[in-house]
Amino acid sequence: MDQILNLLASTSGISVTTLILSTLAYSSPLILCALGGLFSERSGVINIGLEGKMLAAACATAFVGAASQNAVVGLSAGIGIAIVLSLLHWILTQVYQIDHIISGMGINALALGGTSLVSKTFVELGGKDAAIFPREIYYLAAWVAAAGIWYLFRSTRPGLRIFAVGNDPDKSRQMGLKPLRIRLQSLLMTGVLTGLAGALIATNAGRFSDEMTSGRGYIALAALILGGWKPWPTLLAALAFGFFGSLQLILQGRDLGGLAVPGEFWQALPYLITLIALAGMLGKNRAPAGLGQP
Amino acid sequence: MKLLGWRQILLALAGFGLIVAALLIAGAVPAEAIQTVVERALTRPAGWRNIIKEATPLLLLGCSVFIALKVGLFNIGADGQFVIGAVCSAVVALNVPAPINIPLAILAGIVGGCLWAYPVGLIKAYRGGHEVITTIMLNNIAGFLTFYLVSGALKDPNSQQPSTAYISDLSKLPNIIESGPLRINIAIIIAFFVVIATWFFLKKTTVGYEIAATGENPNVAKFSGINVNRIMIRTMTASGGIAGLAGALQVLAYEHRFYGNFSPGYGFDALGVALLAGGNPLGILASGTLFATIAESTNVLSRTGVPKGLSFILLGVLVIVFAAFRYRKEANRGSDS
Amino acid sequence: MRGITKVFGPVVALDQVDLTVESGHIHAIVGENGAGKTTLMRVLYGAHPANEGSIELNGQPVSFRNPEQAIRAGVGMVSQHYAIIPELTCLQNLLLGAEPSLIINQQDAKSRATDLATQMGFQFNWDQQTSELSPGQAQKLEILKLLWRNAKILILDEPTAMLAPEDADLLYAKLHELTQTGATVLVVTHRLPDVMEHCDRVTVLRGGKLITSIPVSQTNPSQLAEQMIGVSVTHHTLTESHPGAPILTAENLTILGDKGQQAVKSASFILHQGELVGIAGVDGNGQRELFHALMGLKPFQGTAVLDGQNLRDLSTQQRIVSGLRLVAEDRHHEAVIESWSIVENTSLGLHRLPNLKKGLGINRDSQLALATAATEQFPTKFDNIRQSFRGLSGGNQQKVVVARALQENPRAILAFQPTRGIDLYVADLVYRELIEATRRGITALVVSFDLDEIMTYCDRILVMNHGILTEVPPELRHDRQAIGRMMVGATP
Repeated sequence: MDQILNLLASTSGISVTTLILSTLAYSSPLILCALGGLFSERSGVINIGLEGKMLAAACATAFVGAASQNAVVGLSAGIGIAIVLSLLHWILTQVYQIDHIISGMGINALALGGTSLVSKTFVELGGKDAAIFPREIYYLAAWVAAAGIWYLFRSTRPGLRIFAVGNDPDKSRQMGLKPLRIRLQSLLMTGVLTGLAGALIATNAGRFSDEMTSGRGYIALAALILGGWKPWPTLLAALAFGFFGSLQLILQGRDLGGLAVPGEFWQALPYLITLIALAGMLGKNRAPAGLGQP
Repeated sequence: MKLLGWRQILLALAGFGLIVAALLIAGAVPAEAIQTVVERALTRPAGWRNIIKEATPLLLLGCSVFIALKVGLFNIGADGQFVIGAVCSAVVALNVPAPINIPLAILAGIVGGCLWAYPVGLIKAYRGGHEVITTIMLNNIAGFLTFYLVSGALKDPNSQQPSTAYISDLSKLPNIIESGPLRINIAIIIAFFVVIATWFFLKKTTVGYEIAATGENPNVAKFSGINVNRIMIRTMTASGGIAGLAGALQVLAYEHRFYGNFSPGYGFDALGVALLAGGNPLGILASGTLFATIAESTNVLSRTGVPKGLSFILLGVLVIVFAAFRYRKEANRGSDS
Repeated sequence: MRGITKVFGPVVALDQVDLTVESGHIHAIVGENGAGKTTLMRVLYGAHPANEGSIELNGQPVSFRNPEQAIRAGVGMVSQHYAIIPELTCLQNLLLGAEPSLIINQQDAKSRATDLATQMGFQFNWDQQTSELSPGQAQKLEILKLLWRNAKILILDEPTAMLAPEDADLLYAKLHELTQTGATVLVVTHRLPDVMEHCDRVTVLRGGKLITSIPVSQTNPSQLAEQMIGVSVTHHTLTESHPGAPILTAENLTILGDKGQQAVKSASFILHQGELVGIAGVDGNGQRELFHALMGLKPFQGTAVLDGQNLRDLSTQQRIVSGLRLVAEDRHHEAVIESWSIVENTSLGLHRLPNLKKGLGINRDSQLALATAATEQFPTKFDNIRQSFRGLSGGNQQKVVVARALQENPRAILAFQPTRGIDLYVADLVYRELIEATRRGITALVVSFDLDEIMTYCDRILVMNHGILTEVPPELRHDRQAIGRMMVGATP
């Protein structure tokens, strides 16, 4: 690792500070989004709609932030739309009992279509700079969220109940728990965290562009799986993905002393690692036992 | 049996409202939009040509997702298998001389798709890794891999974009009808027969019966002497093969080359086609045509200034509402007693 | 409880049932399967609200709409299937739903839990995963869960079904201690010896109606049995067995269980033509693993031969084609697909038999004929042979499952609890058909946790305890006590 850093510093003049900052910028949305997914999946709701929630939140933050020129309003709109989509997922999977995968895919499609519709319709507004919060606040939020979730599941009543419902909704019901309500609360948290993730992506870019989350919701899902649905390992996985992602951005177009690794390799790396983990080569999968159960 | 519950009706109304709202936001008047669609897409041979072209991959990918669904697996990865099948087929079509070029190129597409799906079944059967996650990962890897290939090794030096060269006329699948703007390629006939074959295979053969038993309840299937792991892996591989075939036909019949970001998001459409088909594979003929018509309609609308995002909203609503009705039907079937 | 009536669709599960339970008693509720025992308890515990009737607790009228309200009033139930989540630790299971505070103080909770356990004479490692608990320990944890919630009225549904006789005695001793401290215990059971030995009062239900409710001291087992069944069961003489050639031979079978333990230890037996052999024993002593290994669902060491064919060389499918049949234990998870029709289900497993083949597919005519034969084997109630299996009652479903194993010329039938969930009349019919089938030249092996059933119907009896299979000597064939001792590994 040191060697790589030295190599970087000597050959291309990239400082360690730049790399750290870039890693933070790249990984924080992943962390927030993956932790959002953790709430959902720990309570037993499969969530492949993270991408859509994040995209919608980015769009709302950028456009409302530009229209109102008020950072609070912009961020609230971003979180708000992510919560709405999260609630939609709850209604569809819990009330209508639609398959979780179908609901997630449907929500991704709605978000993709909706955001593209908005950006094509309000072209002028899209060109304006939005009022935003400093991104450091989001970086902090990501780490605080991980710590908070760790504590929540370690020694609080809601944590225990989410954990129980995610593993066995039927027996939890017998113990007087209300799985529907617990999942609603969990999905609200998913909305908040994916909303923050989307807002950060908009903040990093300065404005919205179509499909700007570019599959990062799926990378977050990969981090969640690699992290075994636990907060700190999930954060670490997202951090690692962020590191490789930013490395790839920095290395683009530079000669690395004969090291010619194509950019697509770095981009595919998170997916490859997750695939290897799924194949069981990195230890046992420990998904919540009740994932997807009514 | 009551098919309609108030909840389902409510959801359908909400979905309808969302579509109308989307049209209004986009600045289109619904009545005018419908008129445009009817005039330019539904009643003109050029529109029919596009619908048929669009329906070819949708029918095949619908079959691909359908048989995987039947064995209990969500093949979200039809997209990746399609792209890999397409690139394999393009490579063969560009390098192998006639007359074996076309059969070999089709075969290459099928094999590519199979190979891209095989690990999914393997990981599911022996490691319990969820096929949705595996296929999402494989889709992205397929995207990056093929993009890398067509911007490097396979790139046509004369092209500005990441794309292969065009295949020769000898490698193209012929049109069976060419009258004015209407063109019908033999690919749609192949797709049609694959749907029929899927129906026969699933509904009429013993293996189809075993696939259905595995999909309904893998444990019961195991107790009934069915080799569940083997049947899951094989069905998933076959599903990938059909998706690969779709990729091959797309190259040989319509696009005549392979380029970066080859699939316009067919994975989701395919899932929708398979779901809307209901319990019978023949339903794919209807749902595939419907999705192709929607695609062509939104294409036409986009030329009048209505953003293409509308099509995703339309399909999203359609899939969600249909899924809600389908659940209702199943719940009803259970309470017959 | 007064005039309790509970209706499920067209079925009247409880019809004007009255029940009075004195505090400090152990009160038994007995009856056949489907008599309404469990339903009555679930009404009391708030899981099913009654359609009619009233409940008074300590003189106060109450109506529980859900288990949560019941437990708050001090009424708790341990179901036959424990509500323990295996992924959680013992402590987490104990606390779940009744956590002392928003933020859980682990140390404090642990010491309070230990105090409670000590009072009952139980010991727990609170950080242990509950997946590692034995059925006996799991039941203790369930009882502690009720006590943690300050339950004063404990309802136990078939508490000794999963326990060895000695553990069962220990359990009742603890329950007695509890009643000394003011608790009241309701036990739902079909085991009359337990009732006579340990309970104060007994209520008999039959077909959803109250038959009697009297002190145990004023009744006796045969009177209770008669009241449960309605007519005294006339024990028909069974046709004599004339064992012929061996069909299924097993030698030194050793089978590993799910946790890597030796679930079956070097078991040997021979099943002959013309005999019905029973395996007696408490649940979880290796019966399941033995059956799964014979069917090819689990690997085994040793040799097993069916009609001269080594089973090791045959897949499950090939074993079925060779005439091996299984009546699986768990209908919903092992035997049938409920969303499928009766026709589709009766061919399940038999679908590769030559008789059902036609080209690449299934011969629809033979499939229908098979279904017709299977539904006529026992009087099965259904509207249409193509109706969904889910529409059949539990008893009718079980009849079809057993009948399926008897179709298409079986050679050896393995039946795991074949009478589970069906009433005594049909259970008798099921055994009769099994015996008849063996007399026509095949063999059958039955696992049952009901010793009386095995003693009544089987030609020979094997006993399974901790994976060791032993045969009951012919002279002890009718000695209930001796077989009971063998079931727990003691000398007969």
